[in-house]
Amino acid sequence: MNSRKSFLTFDFIIILAILCLSVISVCFIYSSGLNSDGVNTSFEFIKQIIWIVTGLGLMTLVIVFDYKYFYDFAYYIYGICIFMLIITLLVGNKVNGARSWLGLPGVGIQPSEFTKLGTIIALSAFCAKNRNNIRSIVVFLRAALIPALPMVLILAQPDLGTSLVYIPIFLVILFMAGTKIRYLFFLVACGIGVILFTIIPMWSGYVLKQETFVVTIFSNQLLMLAILGACLLVVILSAIGWFAFKKGIYYWICYSFVIISVSLFVAMLAQKILKDYQIMRLVVFLDPDVDPQGAGWNILQSLTAIGSGGLFGKGFLKGTQSHYHYLPQQSNDFIFSIIAEEIGFFGSMVVFLCFFIILIRGFIIAYSSKDSFGSYICFGIIAMFFFHFVVNIGMAMGIMPITGIPLLFLSYGGSSLWTSMMAAGILINIYYRRYGFKI
Amino acid sequence: MSNNPFENQSIKKERLFFLVLVVCVVFVIFTGYLFSMQITRWMEYQNQAWAVARRTSEAPALRGEIYDRNYDTPLASNVDSFAVSIVPAETDRQNLPQIISALASILGTEAQTLMNKIPQADVFQAIELKDNVSYGQVVQIASNIEDFPGISWSSKPVRHYNHTASLSHIIGYVGNINPEELHLLYNKGYAANSIIGKNGIEKEYDLILKGTPGLKSITVDAKGRNVQEERYIKAPVPGKNIVLTIDRRIQELCEKALGERMGSVVVLKPATGEILAMVSYPSYDTNRFYTPDSASYYRTLLENGNHPFLNRCIQSANAPASVFKTIMMTASLEENAFPPDKKIDCTGKLVLGDRTFNCHQKSGHGPLNLSDALMESCDVYFWELGGNHLGPKKIEQYSRMMGLGEKTGVDLPGEVAGLVPSPEWKLERINELWVGGDTYNMSIGQGYTQVTTLQIADLIAMIVNEGTIYTPHLLKEVRDVVTGEVVEERTPRILHKADISSHTFHELKKAMRRVVAEGSIRRLFNNKVVEVAGKTGTGEVGYTDRWTSWFASFGPYQAQNPEDQVVVVVMIEASNEWEWWAPKASNAIYQGIFANQSYEEVVKTLDIWYLNNGTDVIRRRSE
Repeated sequence: MNSRKSFLTFDFIIILAILCLSVISVCFIYSSGLNSDGVNTSFEFIKQIIWIVTGLGLMTLVIVFDYKYFYDFAYYIYGICIFMLIITLLVGNKVNGARSWLGLPGVGIQPSEFTKLGTIIALSAFCAKNRNNIRSIVVFLRAALIPALPMVLILAQPDLGTSLVYIPIFLVILFMAGTKIRYLFFLVACGIGVILFTIIPMWSGYVLKQETFVVTIFSNQLLMLAILGACLLVVILSAIGWFAFKKGIYYWICYSFVIISVSLFVAMLAQKILKDYQIMRLVVFLDPDVDPQGAGWNILQSLTAIGSGGLFGKGFLKGTQSHYHYLPQQSNDFIFSIIAEEIGFFGSMVVFLCFFIILIRGFIIAYSSKDSFGSYICFGIIAMFFFHFVVNIGMAMGIMPITGIPLLFLSYGGSSLWTSMMAAGILINIYYRRYGFKI
Repeated sequence: MSNNPFENQSIKKERLFFLVLVVCVVFVIFTGYLFSMQITRWMEYQNQAWAVARRTSEAPALRGEIYDRNYDTPLASNVDSFAVSIVPAETDRQNLPQIISALASILGTEAQTLMNKIPQADVFQAIELKDNVSYGQVVQIASNIEDFPGISWSSKPVRHYNHTASLSHIIGYVGNINPEELHLLYNKGYAANSIIGKNGIEKEYDLILKGTPGLKSITVDAKGRNVQEERYIKAPVPGKNIVLTIDRRIQELCEKALGERMGSVVVLKPATGEILAMVSYPSYDTNRFYTPDSASYYRTLLENGNHPFLNRCIQSANAPASVFKTIMMTASLEENAFPPDKKIDCTGKLVLGDRTFNCHQKSGHGPLNLSDALMESCDVYFWELGGNHLGPKKIEQYSRMMGLGEKTGVDLPGEVAGLVPSPEWKLERINELWVGGDTYNMSIGQGYTQVTTLQIADLIAMIVNEGTIYTPHLLKEVRDVVTGEVVEERTPRILHKADISSHTFHELKKAMRRVVAEGSIRRLFNNKVVEVAGKTGTGEVGYTDRWTSWFASFGPYQAQNPEDQVVVVVMIEASNEWEWWAPKASNAIYQGIFANQSYEEVVKTLDIWYLNNGTDVIRRRSE
């Protein structure tokens, strides 16, 4: 064992940041439970305290075992997670329309939260094992299957927001494992393409409110199929060209048109699969005033709450937007709005700083990890933390569409809190067992 | 080539740098954006928040009115009244106790109760201090408004019931929502100051009646006085009017025919399930719940041993007594259990083991066939039939088939299901074996069987409809408050459809007609306007000189149009002095309904000799 393993090798900075976030979390979940008469109507904050304490216990438990055991058991952990997801689909409880709960609502768990960790561990193990031929397309595709399976299962619940977290986890781990940039770029480009092709017709239909040619094209099934057919033809021709002449130009034409075809196809599917409320969420993200009393209400109220907070906020427990219940889903999805309203820019910066510290410490731990497996896990966890932070706070500030994913460490909810605590525990674990700094 | 995953890691520094850069850039963008929202554009958002929070208050929605089927004058309506509120952020904290005690003396209430409602936080939301404030009291506050900083008032109509008495059980009443109700209904648009139906139709159809409150903005001058102008941000949507199936005239008729006797009356239209009248005595005065002494009145009612809150038509169950013999006759005919024309000789008693069962006519009825037995209500015949030919299984089966032992699904809260016993039930609940005596008791509607008045009305409805019971209901239609347009109409729904031949029902109806035309009550039924068929019941409940009195009937006996027929069920509890009142009341009710007369006119027309001195005319137990 390492002689340097002393009390001080613990990463206390990260623990401090987490404790700070936990205190803020309990305070503002309490605040969100107050009604306009100043009376507390909810016991969520007590439950949150219980979850934080048990979460810290879980964190300690995760730190105790050498993370190299995670490598040995990576696929078992992953397998259990997938099994839980399937069970959830079969016998889970519906909350807010998604069959995502196992057990009773309120005391049950959301397996989709824990699966994130299982996937990170499995993916890291896979990449660490195949690190010498990581640039091969076959390895890339096999790696892609690992997050794809839980994504499909979570989409079936259906919970779009939670399933999206797997994309940045995959991208970041593969990126750091050293895969070819063009594979990753292919995925990113397809994603951007899908978003563009889905949003452009909506934007033009709901926001500009006029029948442009874009709407005509995107609403006409036959025309869409024709365009898709044309793109596929280009793909085939350029593929033949590349095999025949081995000129780079054909490769890149083929590459671009595959992206366009996939984007078009998925966008067409999306228009069929997306529910009305999901489409409205995208539309009000583009312009909340399209439906200020309905779908745009949450965004407008959240913006007002944050904006009216000012430099130091209205004071703890004195927010007007939240306590009059203008703001929905206060304790989970919109917890940041209350924080920003009651303790202002100053307090929000404390929250930002805590997250920034956790992320930067994450990078340092990843860099100082003694082996690839450890550092890949770190990057996966960083990707998860970062994605939740950007999407949730971006949503509260109106620069991201509403997806309903929690703000880790702050939002009310046991499963997401335990997942974040365990994730942090893994980071500390890896730091604790680094065999010396390498700079 | 090493494939050890635990060999020293070698992450590419450029890629790591790229990721760190992305994180840093996003943090800078988010911080900048937050800065622009909270610092640069703070005023803009602040005004928006104030515009919403400070100057708005809830605009209550007017509660829908309740009408009877004639839809002319409302049974439940709203009268003007005010609510006094305080905006904590605008009042004078130092002098608050003096302000509140002055206010309390005007409003005629305790200062402490008002103080308890004021939160510590300086919120801009108006907090309601007291409702049901009169115009005069508001004028007193308004003329001294300088002394009452932060105090305001708004119109808050209170409920008024134009007819109470027996209608109280049906219509119910409203009150402020309590924390338990709010906890349950928070997601259905209720708030801490909501008014909610507490009983009867007001509770059952609260969501239709209550409407949706709006938001209004109030323009206030610098001192927070003088409401100059109110503007709706969101107009309140008034609740909808409810039209009941109740016919006010028949309801009043039944109420008076029942008089001050503990019991219940149900008048039902068998063709649709519409309830035309539903009376339960004793009752209470709902309007007194909105007066200052409401709390003590409420307590008096709760402590009253006669349970005035109980709607005896649906919330209490009794033994059906001989009315049950209609079910026995149905079962016998349908199962061919015993030839209907074959006679059984009633000697006045029947011996089973070491027990002797006495027929209500001790001298015996002599030889009787099935129809005679129903007419005479001979116990011996039905004991023989139930004990030796049908058995408890079949009796239970037919009871359930005809709607007993299960809720009728009437649209009122708190209905009870009654009970149909069976050997299994007895073993499980009383832990005793079913004996022959139990079957005997069950056969004449005594023993464990428990039914509500409404279930008996449904039983008669099934006989009239020859196999179908329509769910009994009180809601006729929902109408728009402004246009009066019907927005929703209650259509008849089938509750039960029994597979019983119409021949059986024909025979049964004939026998029930004989009960009224030839049986012992023929002299009571002196009305000339309608031919009635029915069945009496006299239930033993432990007194020696008093019995429960049932009369379950329908009329006219022969109708061209089934819509014209009504079912009348009267149940008088044994706690009243015995006067065999159920058939007598029914006679008066039929006269009133079909001759279109009030109760007073009925009394005159029928010259009802039994009205006041009835007790000494028939003082024997006779069926």
